[in-house]
Amino acid sequence: MVTKVKNLAELNGREPPKIGVYICWCGVNIGGVVDVPKLCDYARTLPYVVLASEYKFMCSDIGQGMIMEDIKDGKINRVVVASCSPRMHEETFRRACEEGGLNKFLFEQANIREHCTWVTMNDVPGATEIAKDHIRMAVAKVSELKPLEVTTVKVEPSTLVVGAGIAGINAALDLANSGYKVYLVDKSPTVGGHMAQLDKTFPTMDCSSCITTPKMSEIARNPNIELMTYSEVVSLDGYVGNFQVKIVKYPHYIDQDTCTGCGHCVDTCPVVCGNEFDLGMKPRKAIYLSFPQAVPGQYTIDMNHCIRCGICKEVCPTKSVRYNDKPEYVDIKVGTIILATGYDPYDARRMKQYGFGRIKNVINALQMERLLSSYGPTGGKVRRPSDQKEPKKLVWVQCVGSREFTGKGRKYCSRVCCMYATKQARSYKEKHPDAQIFIFYIDLRAFGKGYEEFYNDTAKNYGIKFIRGRVAELLEAENGNVIVRAEDTTLQRPLELEVDMVVLSVGLEPREDIDDIARIFNVTATKTEDGFLMEAHPKLRPVDTLTEGIFVAGNVVGPKDIPDTVAQAKAAASSASTLMARGEVEIVPYYSIVLSHKCAGCKSCISLCPFNAITFNEIENVAEINDILCKGCGTCVAGCPSKAIIQNHFGDAQILPMIETAIPKKPEKEEVEVE
Amino acid sequence: MENIKPEKITYVSDDLTRLLRDAGYLELCACIQCGTCTGSCPSGRRTASRTRSLMKKVQLGLKEEILSDKELWFCSTCYTCLERCPRGVPVTDVIISLRNLAVKEGYMQEPHIALCKMFYNTGHGVPINEEKWKKLREYHKLNELPPTTHQYPEAEKEIQTLLKSTEFDKLTGVGDYEKKKGEEES
Amino acid sequence: MASNDSKFALFLGCVIPNRYPFIERATRAVFEKFKIELVDMKGASCCPAPGVFRGFDIETWLVVGARNITIAEELGLDIALMCNGCYGSLLEVNHTLKEDKEKRRKVNEHLAKIGREFKGTIEIRHVVDIMYHDIGPEKIRNRTKYGRKTPLNLNLAVHYGCHLTKPAKLRPWDMECENPTFFDELVEISGCKSLNYKDKFMCCGAGGGVRGAFKELSLDYTREKLENMTAAKADVIITGCPFCHLQFDLGQVEVNNIFKDKISAPFNIPVLYFTQLIGLAIGMTPEEMGLIKSPELKGVPPFTPMKPVLTKIGDSA
Ligand SMILES: Cc1cc2nc3c(=O)[nH]c(=O)nc-3n(C[C@H](O)[C@H](O)[C@H](O)COP(=O)(O)OP(=O)(O)OC[C@H]3O[C@@H](n4cnc5c(N)ncnc54)[C@H](O)[C@@H]3O)c2cc1C
Ligand code: SF4
Ligand code: SF4
Ligand code: SF4
Ligand code: SF4
Repeated sequence: MVTKVKNLAELNGREPPKIGVYICWCGVNIGGVVDVPKLCDYARTLPYVVLASEYKFMCSDIGQGMIMEDIKDGKINRVVVASCSPRMHEETFRRACEEGGLNKFLFEQANIREHCTWVTMNDVPGATEIAKDHIRMAVAKVSELKPLEVTTVKVEPSTLVVGAGIAGINAALDLANSGYKVYLVDKSPTVGGHMAQLDKTFPTMDCSSCITTPKMSEIARNPNIELMTYSEVVSLDGYVGNFQVKIVKYPHYIDQDTCTGCGHCVDTCPVVCGNEFDLGMKPRKAIYLSFPQAVPGQYTIDMNHCIRCGICKEVCPTKSVRYNDKPEYVDIKVGTIILATGYDPYDARRMKQYGFGRIKNVINALQMERLLSSYGPTGGKVRRPSDQKEPKKLVWVQCVGSREFTGKGRKYCSRVCCMYATKQARSYKEKHPDAQIFIFYIDLRAFGKGYEEFYNDTAKNYGIKFIRGRVAELLEAENGNVIVRAEDTTLQRPLELEVDMVVLSVGLEPREDIDDIARIFNVTATKTEDGFLMEAHPKLRPVDTLTEGIFVAGNVVGPKDIPDTVAQAKAAASSASTLMARGEVEIVPYYSIVLSHKCAGCKSCISLCPFNAITFNEIENVAEINDILCKGCGTCVAGCPSKAIIQNHFGDAQILPMIETAIPKKPEKEEVEVE
Repeated sequence: MENIKPEKITYVSDDLTRLLRDAGYLELCACIQCGTCTGSCPSGRRTASRTRSLMKKVQLGLKEEILSDKELWFCSTCYTCLERCPRGVPVTDVIISLRNLAVKEGYMQEPHIALCKMFYNTGHGVPINEEKWKKLREYHKLNELPPTTHQYPEAEKEIQTLLKSTEFDKLTGVGDYEKKKGEEES
Repeated sequence: MASNDSKFALFLGCVIPNRYPFIERATRAVFEKFKIELVDMKGASCCPAPGVFRGFDIETWLVVGARNITIAEELGLDIALMCNGCYGSLLEVNHTLKEDKEKRRKVNEHLAKIGREFKGTIEIRHVVDIMYHDIGPEKIRNRTKYGRKTPLNLNLAVHYGCHLTKPAKLRPWDMECENPTFFDELVEISGCKSLNYKDKFMCCGAGGGVRGAFKELSLDYTREKLENMTAAKADVIITGCPFCHLQFDLGQVEVNNIFKDKISAPFNIPVLYFTQLIGLAIGMTPEEMGLIKSPELKGVPPFTPMKPVLTKIGDSA
């Protein structure tokens, strides 16, 4: 859609500016540092300012009401609120302007909290000066703002869900059950994610697959869900409501429509390799199903290992083997997207003192889940790797790769490992009451509903020894045993235990390919320091991203347990359906406009635009900008050699006055001196 | 009476943390008392020295208790704790700085004072102080004296000038201060 | 880097020149074979020892360390050194003064009194680092080919020594200090086997002024290490530091003495500095490597008899 420059004259932009400045105390956040009434006095001295008021909380009903009333009374036709960050309340105040009858783009917010009182708390005169600067700049800008009209676009009633772990599954089901079309894409050959690998789940100790597999088959059966496993998104185009997605379906080398999952092929395949699902602890054939309950239940050939002997092709009763399968590309159109690609377990090899990968009987907790699982590599009988002996003494090492500020791991607490270690230890004790079990921890974090009770119950009834002290190192003894060194910090004594096996409670990390995901979905700018994707607002918009129409759920945003993951998935589904139910969305009109009479047709801007928003009109020989694709980044504005592109809201007309008023004019004398 | 041994802490000060903070040990304030340092410590495995407790005592500013305790000198500076601390506390460096403070307060081990004397007098902590060492050198086809301060008296003087300049002589009671101390005593 | 990589200023420290001169002898001989020139640092002093003198007064440690560095700066050469303690001191001093302008200014104020100035133009290298990174395993291996006729065939207990790898930040081993293998790799070129033994990377106990002030404590470390080396059936202990060397050589005699009742049998494992082993491997004689004890001198190293090694490798070398 290409919008012509609209005639906006009637949109109350013509009159000379009559600016109202409203200064917020934000309780003591602002008012406790700067003298707000004095700031009001100052604001009244600024050009075009007709009134300046203050209030404790401008964002409250009363505060907003003040603005609306002044507009309705015809006192003002432009508004400046000096308060918090626009990320916090720009929408709030714009709505107030709109309700008062003013074009909502004739509003400007001066951030005198984050940019002033919070950072200059101990310097009252300094803070007051900074606040004045901010207000003066906002006033300068608002005088030059033009009324703008929001565009609305239609929203396709369909969603792409990326990642079919427990987050993706729940989001997909909620949306499909509300009647929306859902494309569910997962890059592994089966759905379920990590939850499918778990044995039991804390704090209820219900069997993980018992609660996951029904959901997995529901996915496969739901007519509104189109499941694409062994597939990945390769590119994304378009915008909220109208995303065009290209998906690659990797070849299974087995016709997924005709394979009945009978498994004849597996018995005959001569190639044996390690099963990823069991973290390499169980062999599988080159032709395989990740695990018995895998969904979909059709087979896949792993071409990295297949030797093309042709045997499976011969034995397959339905003639489903296709050695020459090629990747297939599918284009779909969706209105909304939910990213639910989950986490990777921390690679414990980086914590060298624990010898993971070097000491045979040191395993990670996900491996332990598989060992405990009845359909795991040992059928639920835990055996230590070095000699397949049943361990009698075990140690869990907490915080492996978490709470680590030295670059070897992640700074955050992974939130689930205290509980899963307690769970695993308890499971083990249930089967082996004679086993001796130690959990070495820094802090035992049992914060969720029923968690502290779970810990208490486990400690009391299962006799697990919780020792407060982070494990210092692990050494391998001659007989394969592991020597654990730590301090029992409560007794203030070093401790050295020889045990049969050690489990590392590894933390949860961002996916290895999180950068690719961020890039493809254009949420690059929204990655947090910890490496996970970032929510639009940590408290108020927990499942939104800064790219409209794209939502996040589960561990892709940060480590969390299953209850929180599912809650987020349901929230993301609800947010997506809110958008789709409304059927259309407003697009912020910050786009740039080509002044066709000035455009020389040089096409420089076309390659500059990072969002592919510029096309070339061959007939009129001018560039044209799609106002919906354009994100208003301004690159083309700066790059156009003919100065033919102007930008809404953030143009030279608005920014230059701000700069001018921000920088005090040099006294002439000095200028002479400089010369 | 021997059963009565009040160990309660009644005075806490920020002195030490402040002293160490100035030296760049901010991380120390973020120590989470995880015990990795004690658990890693080869010295603590055979003595009562507890690295983690030491870090806590620093946080609480139990200065006298720390500086007067000879356990402060039990660390062999192996740096294992420093490498493993999850908060990046430069544990060993903190211990070294504490030792500096202890020396300033006059807490020094006798054999260490002897080392300082040799250092001041010869430029070497372990000097050639017996004929046999010269012979050993010659036996191994080396000059009887190494090309160090041992061969160059003017270099020895340079060291002494520097030790005076930093007041190391005064601090450890060597050189001129060795004599003075003797005089005082007599 | 200041210099051409085939020429270094050799920093001796204290223990090597004044107690274990054969370490210098062997190292010089081996480096000569690889055409690396080692130039004397005239008038150098104690590094000063990081455990003791740094513990007494950091400023003095910086100033005297800086003075040593200025000697090499005048020569325009990087420093090669053979001692982990000297490595710890000079590496840290050099780094601190290169980075911290304020400290450098202060240090130079002191140095001005003897007409010196720290400029920050050279690097500090351990001979293990030079052997491993500059000469390289390949070149050494090639030389062993036309070196000895009979293989050495010894079981080695390598002792890295703390300050060779830690703190890992400034050192050339890719931050690896928990389970490094470069030293094993280097000595295995000799055809010997480097053993894994319990607490291989543990401290010998000598550092930090502990040997000086609390000898028994320091020797208790050594006892534990010797027990673990014995359990792994080590023929010889390999060191890269004269102070660790002393702790295992002289210390072994002391351990046998003071822990008589604590140990099952007296220890008797010869101790070699790694260049002595490499020298043998490339065909130099035990004599050239300083392995033969003077028959006349009493109370000098090696204190732990070399005989078991000499017998094992035979005289046919
Ligand atoms: C050892 C261990 C035990 C645990 N035990 C418990 C417990 O008892 N109780 C509990 O509440 N929590 C437990 N947890 C936490 C639990 O695993 C997570 O909360 C939950 O599995 C997260 O689900 P998710 O859907 O967010 O992510 P994931 O399970 O990681 O699912 C992500 C999915 O996305 C797919 N994917 C990834 N990248 C892409 C891509 N680029 N394109 C397409 N698809 C992609 C993956 O194949 C996967 O299927 C445990 C965690 C561990 C490590
Ligand atoms: S949940 Fe427990 S084990 Fe995991 S990082 Fe947090 S404190 Fe450590
Ligand atoms: S402003 Fe940015 S997004 Fe818009 S057309 Fe120009 S370059 Fe593209
Ligand atoms: S290892 Fe670090 S954080 Fe842990 S107790 Fe020691 S100094 Fe504190
Ligand atoms: S550096 Fe000192 S305190 Fe730290 S582990 Fe080594 S001996 Fe212990």
